[in-house]
Amino acid sequence: MKGWRGLAVGAAALAVAVSGCGTSTSSGGATETKEITVWLMDGSAPTTLTDALNKEFESANGIKVKYEVQKWTGIQEKLTTALASSTPPDVIELGNTQTASFADQGTLADLTADAGQFNGGEWLGGLKDSLTLNGKQYGVPFYAANRTVIYRTDLLKAAGVEKAPTSRAEWLDAINKLKAANASNPDFQALYLPGQSWYFLLSLIWDEGGDIAKQDGGKWTGTLDTPQAKAGFQAYKELYDASATKKVPADIDEAKPQQMEVFGTGNVGMMVGLPWELGGAVKAKPDLADKTSAFPIPSKKAGSAAPVFLGGSNLAIPASSKNADAAKKYLALLSSKNYQDQLAAGGAVPGTSKDTSKLASNAIGKAMADSSPNGKVTPVTPKWAAVEAGQNPLKDALTAYLTGAKTLDQATKDASDAITKAMA
Amino acid sequence: MTAVNTTEAAAPAGTIPPALPPATTRGAPKRRRRGSAFDRALPYLLLAPALIAILWLIGWPVVSVFVTSFRQLNLGELVRGEVVWTGLDNYAAVLQDERFWIASLRTVVFTVAVVGASVGTGLGIALLMRVLTPWVRIALQIAMLCAWAMPILASTTVYQWMFDQNYGILNKTLVQLGFDSYAGYSWFSSGTSTLSVVGLLIIWQAIPFLAFSLYAGLVGIPRDLYEAAGIDGASPWQTFRAVTWPEIRSLLMMVTFLSTLWDFKVFAQIWVFREGGPSGESTTLPVLQYLEGIAKSHFGVAAAISVLMMLILGLITFQYLRKLLQTEEGKL
Repeated sequence: MKGWRGLAVGAAALAVAVSGCGTSTSSGGATETKEITVWLMDGSAPTTLTDALNKEFESANGIKVKYEVQKWTGIQEKLTTALASSTPPDVIELGNTQTASFADQGTLADLTADAGQFNGGEWLGGLKDSLTLNGKQYGVPFYAANRTVIYRTDLLKAAGVEKAPTSRAEWLDAINKLKAANASNPDFQALYLPGQSWYFLLSLIWDEGGDIAKQDGGKWTGTLDTPQAKAGFQAYKELYDASATKKVPADIDEAKPQQMEVFGTGNVGMMVGLPWELGGAVKAKPDLADKTSAFPIPSKKAGSAAPVFLGGSNLAIPASSKNADAAKKYLALLSSKNYQDQLAAGGAVPGTSKDTSKLASNAIGKAMADSSPNGKVTPVTPKWAAVEAGQNPLKDALTAYLTGAKTLDQATKDASDAITKAMA
Repeated sequence: MTAVNTTEAAAPAGTIPPALPPATTRGAPKRRRRGSAFDRALPYLLLAPALIAILWLIGWPVVSVFVTSFRQLNLGELVRGEVVWTGLDNYAAVLQDERFWIASLRTVVFTVAVVGASVGTGLGIALLMRVLTPWVRIALQIAMLCAWAMPILASTTVYQWMFDQNYGILNKTLVQLGFDSYAGYSWFSSGTSTLSVVGLLIIWQAIPFLAFSLYAGLVGIPRDLYEAAGIDGASPWQTFRAVTWPEIRSLLMMVTFLSTLWDFKVFAQIWVFREGGPSGESTTLPVLQYLEGIAKSHFGVAAAISVLMMLILGLITFQYLRKLLQTEEGKL
């Protein structure tokens, strides 16, 4: 299988080489544009929003919108092929950690000068960072989501926890109470915390004042071995050790098995998750809907929320698009307040509007809105992809530390070195 | 894999009957078979379509991997359609990375262990099948067919469940048997342990093919040879050495060769278990190629690792390939 992978890539490469470098980038003037192709991702914007948006755009500009919804699985390959073709889509949605590597390879149009028409003043900081490379903007923030602590209101109440924890100490206290109240159930997880939930680890590291890596004169160095980052690891271990009598294995992450499925079994009191994960759990077990709520990941400092990893998407225009002007008009319309409010109402943090009042209408949305201003992203550099692709040093470090295979100093030093090497 | 494809691809070419045109070719009414240039070329012309198809399907990708390995081909070059030659840079980068050497050693050890164990067990089951009563043998064969028919990812998932830390049947059984230390024991805490589990899975998946192939070879050995050996008073071991071994040796060589090819490039099972972890300790060459080349969109590097893998595989199977070529030239 592996051999064929290589062959297929080689064949694709040659096909590209043979077909020549014929991708001219002259945008042929907006007047000629009759149709633009828009690729958005599965589950990103509600259909009601996109229907209204496409209709408004078509009637205002006389340009048809060929709207296509893509699946996340395999999108990297699909985008690669599409961008290499002579008729790429005109608007694409990119995951925020993907954006830098696509921008760096010169595949995205520079939108710095046009930021004004995309509501540039109200962009969500974390997403803006993710699409900025060397001071230039290669996209428009679309929407974001971040992790909150999703919990079972009934179980917490039964355990005597009356109000949502607002500091890490209170949170630990709640976990211990929950564990004690359910001691008769050997499979009970007061907090479902797999050993490799590294996005959550980032929250703790940032909360302690640490970071993953720092940039110095264009060179990135891993900083997981700083005292602050180590404190983040220690906080993780403290929570992990407290989480349950029969702990979740230290070598799995939140996606394998899907933590929402575990939450749906009813043996879980809390999990650190995204809104759609609660949605999935509720779908499997509808009676959870009335028994769940959420609070922001508490900081160690009482009363404030810890920084969170901001997951989300950006919108971009491929550099080879022939309808860039029309595509910009499309993005401008999508960035307008009306559609951003609809995004917020759909349960996402809007990318180009600071108004999150629509989002705050339910508990999980409110928890998310409360922590999103504190949202941060992984280092914005095309080199970051190399860290995350495949064997993530952060995950390895967590497993090694939690299982005791390595000491904290050793695990964090190894991870830091691995990051420095991968980003060199 | 190459060997298999060559054989498969050669088959259609072989089925085209050798051209023996009756002497009715245009412009040469009465001519014998060894006549004009056209007649002599005709067999090759008839072979040409198949040959071109084979070359295009198999030869071209191989050449293109080779060519790609000398290029810098990242996402940008691919999208822009640029051709950037970097000479031996890809190879230098790969060979200077100590992980490549560790992974190479690991892959070779893994392949040897898995091939040895699976061929050995396969041979054992084949020998066993010959002495079983028909009903038991049929039951065994059906069981093996089922195992063989199971999709790779399905059986990999089942193995993951079996070896699960908290809920796996293996740990639960061991605890029931009194080995309390296996409660919550992680089988994937080190690379060796992870690769052992993966190896067990691959052996399990490979045994049906090996057992059936070798059994087919065994039933071809005339019974009277064994009777004669029995009359001469040979022990079972002596019978095996003197009668069975010479008859199935070449078949055994072939299945060992095929197993080596397959097990050397195993990717799916290793990746699904722990993505080459923990801490990269179960990263074999195919996994490294995926990580370095495909996951990071460095297709030139991926191609270079592919070429190096072919070289290593060539070295491992050198003896067999040499014998194969000698046999074809000499005896066939």
